Amino acid sequence: MEFTREIYWNVGHGFTTLVPMYGLLLLALAVFVHGSLKRIKVYKLGQSLDRTDQRGERIKALLNNVFLQTKVYRVPGPGTAHALFFWSFFILAVGTALIVAQADFTDLFFDVKFLKGTLYKFFSLTLDLAGLVAIVMLGALLVRRYLIRPEGLITKPDDALMHGILFAILITGFVIEGARMAVTELNTPLAAWSPGGLVIAKILSGFGEGPLRALHSSLWWLHLLLALAFIAIIPFTKFRHIVTTSANSFFTNLGPTGKLTTIDLEDETTEQFGAGALSDLRWKDIFDADACTLCKRCQDRCPAFATGKSLSPMQVVNQIGEIAFTNPDAALIDTVGREAIWACTTCLACQDICPASIEHVSKIIEMRRNLVLMEGEFPGDEVMTAMEQTEVNGNPLGMGYASRGDWAESLGIKSLAEDAEVDILYFVGCYASFDKRNIAVAKSFVTLCQTAGIKVGILGKEEKCCGEPMRKMGNEYLYQTLAMETIETIKGYGVKKIVTTCPHCFNTLAKDYRDLDFDIPVEPHAVFLEQLVMSGKLRIKKDIFSCTYHDSCYLGRHNNIYDAPRNLIKSAGGQLVEMTKNRDQAFCCSAGGGRILAEENIGERINIKRVQMAVETGAEQLLSNCPFCLTMFEDGVKGADVEEKLRPKDIAEILAERL
Amino acid sequence: MKILICIKQVPDMESKFKINAEGKWYDRTDLAWRMNEYDEYAVEQAVRLKEQVKDADLTVLCIGPDQVKETMKKALAMGCDRGAHIADNDSHTREPIEIATMVADFAKDKNFDIIFTGMQSQDRGSAQVGVMIAELLSIAAVTTIVGFTFDNGAINVKRELEGGGKALVSTTTPVVLTCQLGLNTPRYPTLPNIMKAKKKELLTLPVPDMSSIGSHQETAAFYFPERKGSGIVLEGDLPDLADKLIHLLKEKTGVLA
Repeated sequence: MEFTREIYWNVGHGFTTLVPMYGLLLLALAVFVHGSLKRIKVYKLGQSLDRTDQRGERIKALLNNVFLQTKVYRVPGPGTAHALFFWSFFILAVGTALIVAQADFTDLFFDVKFLKGTLYKFFSLTLDLAGLVAIVMLGALLVRRYLIRPEGLITKPDDALMHGILFAILITGFVIEGARMAVTELNTPLAAWSPGGLVIAKILSGFGEGPLRALHSSLWWLHLLLALAFIAIIPFTKFRHIVTTSANSFFTNLGPTGKLTTIDLEDETTEQFGAGALSDLRWKDIFDADACTLCKRCQDRCPAFATGKSLSPMQVVNQIGEIAFTNPDAALIDTVGREAIWACTTCLACQDICPASIEHVSKIIEMRRNLVLMEGEFPGDEVMTAMEQTEVNGNPLGMGYASRGDWAESLGIKSLAEDAEVDILYFVGCYASFDKRNIAVAKSFVTLCQTAGIKVGILGKEEKCCGEPMRKMGNEYLYQTLAMETIETIKGYGVKKIVTTCPHCFNTLAKDYRDLDFDIPVEPHAVFLEQLVMSGKLRIKKDIFSCTYHDSCYLGRHNNIYDAPRNLIKSAGGQLVEMTKNRDQAFCCSAGGGRILAEENIGERINIKRVQMAVETGAEQLLSNCPFCLTMFEDGVKGADVEEKLRPKDIAEILAERL
Repeated sequence: MKILICIKQVPDMESKFKINAEGKWYDRTDLAWRMNEYDEYAVEQAVRLKEQVKDADLTVLCIGPDQVKETMKKALAMGCDRGAHIADNDSHTREPIEIATMVADFAKDKNFDIIFTGMQSQDRGSAQVGVMIAELLSIAAVTTIVGFTFDNGAINVKRELEGGGKALVSTTTPVVLTCQLGLNTPRYPTLPNIMKAKKKELLTLPVPDMSSIGSHQETAAFYFPERKGSGIVLEGDLPDLADKLIHLLKEKTGVLA
């Protein structure tokens, strides 16, 4: 016998089937298009932004994130269930399309049937298994949402509707198949190739052909209506994420990771800075809200949210969507709330994990820019003071600028003004220049370089803050003022390579300054030292010690540098015990996003929480690569009362101890 | 309403100070410059008053070398309408009566309703210029204000007195008010205002003739305070502390002899 089946069995293939069927399909598509156009109008309330350049990269991102579910899959459990559901539902959709293609096109016009023989057997088996997997995964997700109810998961009527309609489509599909098989396929070799349908067929086999045919045709039409309803309601329900989230992986920010837009301050016609109203945001910021599926991965990883602050990156994204679609003239900043806006540490944990390619941080920075540049507002007087001190002395600590290079005098390090013939310019940063604890790190780094025969120069009193904390706090004007001066100074000396011990300086010089015509290579000390050790220029005595390592946000998520510091630790004999939250999942120290300048007086202290995570590893030392992290951890071990148990250190220090 | 705000550019107090070659003042190298803290309160109060009465014209006046214009720009960015710079490279050698004379000479025919200034400068700290201006213009002066209200021409200020006391003073225009810490929190200039400030009028004027004043004071010497012994912090239990203290008093002083 030929392995195949009659398409449109029992429902007929005449005008009485095709006309209402395609009529309803057109109607469903019309509703879909109408709903989509209405939403596109709202996206257009935002400012323009080109996200259709570099198409190759964008298509790659689209394929990766939609068809391979790469980002979705990163979170085991719900991510796995979603990916498996997506793949199986996608297979079912493709199967349906093949049936339509054969019955209403190749067979109808050219008498060509391809769903037959071995191909049909595998077609049938694949679709049956896909249907089963889809039902099981949907069931698992239903149990998670309605029975397990993970903390923070927002469930809306939309979710019930989605589960209902998807279950109904899948189950009617199997019952239709079972009814057809009970009449046409039972006890044939073909039946085994539809194991799901076979079970239903056996259950239904007791009914006579008449009732089975009646059941089949009525469910066939119901299944069709459900499938068309599913298409029609996409723009009006959370189903829209099928389109928007997929599209967003095409519109994704292709990087550099976390880089902010540089405001053109030369343009004297601009009178509005940052985002104070919805229309100041970009269309992508509104689209992001539609791409959000409320999966709460961002919220689960947000250090501010985890410590009782009013910031939830998910809420921020959705509040923007809410006013875009209901009240676009509403006050944006009041809607999101100042407390939430100032709480962000720009650690990028939200953005990194987001399966929908949403950009949370830039929205917050745009609102901060509005508060600072248009209103002169800061999270506290201490931040305003730090800004003013930076304007006067080039550092937020308020130290006299002329003493910036004093720490290096005992090491015989000269400023470039005295001797510009150097191997590297060490861009020291404010903390390593003025803060006693971090001066120890600077000295360790210089000692390591000197041991390796590297001639180091500094800018000394000519160095100023790179502007990073100011920029992240929204003060783009002060950032650009500092950046321009720094760039001019460095360029004036014909520097070949810059090394930093602060990942914030590194990120700013290597990424942000690129917009300001600066292209001198910059390396973080972890990477630079790793090369010295690997090349044998720097010999470190292996001396076993136990430690845990904290990935700073700006070396880790912002710049994807995870291995260099770990290799250094190992080369020094460090027995590394990882914290549960490590690498791209690392928990912020609290000081990013300019928060180093601000008091943390809402909720728990982030740094204490991170120190406690380090204590749990049982390690004696907490290593990091960032002056802000080190400062927060020195403070954190006191706050957590573990000063005796855990010593925070920079990697440069443990290396210098082992020369 | 016409308001004059007198400001001074001073070194940031965190700077590395050195004594100049003449030994009469600090050396200007390696210093970071900013607006005298008390003058910031003066600027802020004037801008707030303008925001309240709407119809007001704010002139900021500063005496000194060309670089003081940078500090004046901040006052303009904070909300002053125009700037008057008296170009004087010797301003650091001037005694208070000379500075006050320059201000009074500038103000005499301009009918300012209120003159705001800091209660003293952070570097010289004479606290005399404000009252001298008032005297030279024959108008009232209220010093060290920490509170200010203006209601239909009636001015009510709170003064800080010695020993933490406060005095409430009512006055009318014209008046000189010198501002003290606590009066307000100066604003951070917004970017549009910084941009606008660049286009505001900033006139540079010569030093007026001051031959009639003559000199009254002369700086004899300028030096850092002598370094004395640092304090000792005793630590330990109470009985222990008492023993240590007695030991110290016996050894280092004569009080127990």
